[in-house]
Amino acid sequence: MLKKVLDLLDPLLILSAALMGVALYLIFIWVPTETNQGAVQRILYFHVPVAWGSMLGILVVSGSSFMYLWKKNEKWDRLAVASAEVGVIFGAIMLLSGMIWARPVWAVWWTGEAKLTTALILFFIYVAYLMFRGYFPPGAQRQRLAAIIGVIGAVDTPIIYFAANLWSQAHPPLITGPAADAESTLGSDLGIVLMASTLAFTFLFIFLVQTRYKIRKSEDDLVELKRILSTSAMTGVN
Amino acid sequence: MMLYAINTLTNSGKGAMGTKLALALIIALTVSLAVAQTSYANHEPPISGIVVGVETDDAGNLTRFAVSDSTGTVTTFTIFDGTEYGLENQAGDRWVSTQGEEPSESVRRLRDHRERFAPITVTFENETAFSVVEREEGKLEANLGYLFAVFAVTWALFFAYVLYMGRKQRVLQHEIAKLKGKTG
Repeated sequence: MLKKVLDLLDPLLILSAALMGVALYLIFIWVPTETNQGAVQRILYFHVPVAWGSMLGILVVSGSSFMYLWKKNEKWDRLAVASAEVGVIFGAIMLLSGMIWARPVWAVWWTGEAKLTTALILFFIYVAYLMFRGYFPPGAQRQRLAAIIGVIGAVDTPIIYFAANLWSQAHPPLITGPAADAESTLGSDLGIVLMASTLAFTFLFIFLVQTRYKIRKSEDDLVELKRILSTSAMTGVN
Repeated sequence: MMLYAINTLTNSGKGAMGTKLALALIIALTVSLAVAQTSYANHEPPISGIVVGVETDDAGNLTRFAVSDSTGTVTTFTIFDGTEYGLENQAGDRWVSTQGEEPSESVRRLRDHRERFAPITVTFENETAFSVVEREEGKLEANLGYLFAVFAVTWALFFAYVLYMGRKQRVLQHEIAKLKGKTG
């Protein structure tokens, strides 16, 4: 029994679980409640890391799609699919957590401002990529066309990142990265919790992509096995 | 031929699983967005913020008041006899009335809110306030529901995805073992 449980545990899973535990402690016990927004501000510690995860996902999809087009190696295609599937989960959580945060703070669930719209477009890019792969007949052409969609999809990432600065609307300004406000609160308690949470969700993202990659590899092995069986059956008949 | 058909069916099944997941997510989001848009389609969205100005006439009755929202935008509202109030004092006692019924009390309550920086929510149309209430959702206790919702949604989706992957992995392992057994 214990051996079975230990077999299931992956070092990445243990690391992400430990980091998630630390992040949860910091979010709910260590960091003080923000004065203006109250408890609802703690949503930020989930929303920002999953938003980062969804953007990281499309960058991995794009990068591995580019590598597939260049090297024609199946492993890059597998990585792109795995990242897209995990990315769509992160994207959905990003949108839902943002909407739940907006309701008490902005008094609306959704507004048509640039940051929100570009984030929604990112989600639709993921969905379009996965739907294309789901409906297009399997083969090299599907992989090639999906890779092209994956490469183009990453164009949305810098637009999302800079949207709050380019179109100053209700969304809070950037607090991390090259375009962040110089008076960012990242050095404060908020920043420490945000970094810890982002690290935890990044490792969770890597673990999920790794797991999905392995499953994709098994799927390809199964197809190959069936092909071999089919060929041997045909040879036997002939 | 039969093996080819099984192969094709299995592949389309795999694709359909991912597509179903994507479709379920897209439907959930679309419904949420549609509900949200419908709720606010007929009214201007209410403004929440702190009272930054209270103006009275010579008789001391409220004529206008100004609210600054979280972005710093100041909005001035006029009132009429039907403007409804639901405001609390520092002790939490709620005063519910209309402008026509108690015109002097509204001034006192709004000034009290201005001094305490207590947030309010105003529903309005064409800058005329219809209701002025305590910002319920600004309270820490009330916000815990939203925090719980985010926490639940985040982990429910992750767990559902991990379960989906686990199931998929088991089916694949079973099929591979079966086929390997056939090849002997």
